[in-house]
Amino acid sequence: MSFIAPELLRIVVGMVAVMAFVALNVLVLVYAERKGAGHIQRRPGPYEVGPHGILQPLADAGKLMGKQLLMPKSADPILYWMAPILAFFPVLLLFVPMPFGPVLTVQDVNLGLLLILAFAGLNVLATLLAGWSQNNKFGLLGAARAVSQSVAYEIPLLLSVLCIAFQYGSLNLSTIVEAQGSWPWQWNFLCQPLAFLIFLVSAFAETNRAPFDLPEAESELTAGFHTEYSGMGFGLFFMAEYANMVVVSGVCSALFLGGWRGPFFDGVWWFLIKVYAILALIIWVRWTYPRVRFDQLLNINWKWLLPLATANLFATVFLIKLF
Amino acid sequence: MEILAKLAFAIYALIILGGALTAVSSKSLVRSLVGLIVTFFGVAGMYLLLNTPFLAFMQMLIYVGAVCVLVFFAVMLTRADGRGEEAAPVGGKRRFRALLAGLLPVAGLGAILVKHQGETKTLPVEVDLTALGSGLLDQYALNFELISLVLLVAMSGAVLLAWERKEKK
Repeated sequence: MSFIAPELLRIVVGMVAVMAFVALNVLVLVYAERKGAGHIQRRPGPYEVGPHGILQPLADAGKLMGKQLLMPKSADPILYWMAPILAFFPVLLLFVPMPFGPVLTVQDVNLGLLLILAFAGLNVLATLLAGWSQNNKFGLLGAARAVSQSVAYEIPLLLSVLCIAFQYGSLNLSTIVEAQGSWPWQWNFLCQPLAFLIFLVSAFAETNRAPFDLPEAESELTAGFHTEYSGMGFGLFFMAEYANMVVVSGVCSALFLGGWRGPFFDGVWWFLIKVYAILALIIWVRWTYPRVRFDQLLNINWKWLLPLATANLFATVFLIKLF
Repeated sequence: MEILAKLAFAIYALIILGGALTAVSSKSLVRSLVGLIVTFFGVAGMYLLLNTPFLAFMQMLIYVGAVCVLVFFAVMLTRADGRGEEAAPVGGKRRFRALLAGLLPVAGLGAILVKHQGETKTLPVEVDLTALGSGLLDQYALNFELISLVLLVAMSGAVLLAWERKEKK
């Protein structure tokens, strides 16, 4: 045991815990999404497997793993199989600086926020590779949409995150959480409401969730960038989408909603409550709003979010200098 | 720990070399791009080894997350199926010239490294982010501005190239 450094052990244990957490969350979220969709559309949702269909995600997982993995003849074999792997595994890394609780962090990284933003970019790349390598028109269209969407929405997202980073002079998520108080009126979404709103909208776009799910857009592009994937090839993209949603909700709750700080008892439960509240909001929005058109999507970003985020950043810097 | 560091250096160097070889030798432009991305990863690893995590993450954020995605967009607008101009066989003369172009900086940098071994031996110290920021805007402000000037020139050059193409049609 003396050969193994305690930090190394912590990272290994943490990564295993993160994998279990992500897998569990994907199962729960798939069920929540299908049930939520069902009830919003006035139908019961999955109902047959287990009481109230609670074992449906397990049946789905079994089905996905049992399916044959197919690849189109004219696809690029290396890139085709690289894309789903590249989509899912970097997401696990995004949980490393996530402040689950006062001591419950895999590794307290000084530049944690930057680490998350840096490795989140790989998701776009995986989408692109998937869309291009399958040699399919729908896939290519989905990839082209993914580029213009994610490159555009990354800018307001970064600018809104920078507001909070400037305010606390730190990129460490744990520090930012600790600096916020225990009561809701001490959290950042009250003193940075615009940044909070911009972050939420950009996060929807960055995770390709409705109303910004244009890269996959079932009704126009069949399935967009993952049209040709079957079995676990598709399963990995699916898991990556849900894991990305959890990451976005975690970052949002740490930056704007006080993370694990909460009334009466600080702790990991407050973090989880906030994360699941944001996830519920994401699911609710998906089944409430119709998909935006592509020109609307770009107009929202370049004509509204970007100027607003820039103005907000300037205002924040000005006020910090003033006081 | 020193052995671990040397091992990490070797692995990163192999990743960089492998990515670079893929980038120059692939027949398909997208595979070349993936090679380039692998190289960027290796370089980011080197930055981490040099105890500059900020540079490493910025490398990932800007080069992998933004530049490569835009290059990909440009590639998607061309015929990148491995049957284009870049897939033609390369002659021996061109190979020799490419090797020469690669070896020249290696020789130059190697000479400097051998001459100044003392500076490279000590363990690097992590520089605080605030110190980095004030350094860029204070002590090295001129260099910083000059770099942005270079970027401006490159940008206007790209616009100019696109302009000339349009006029020919």
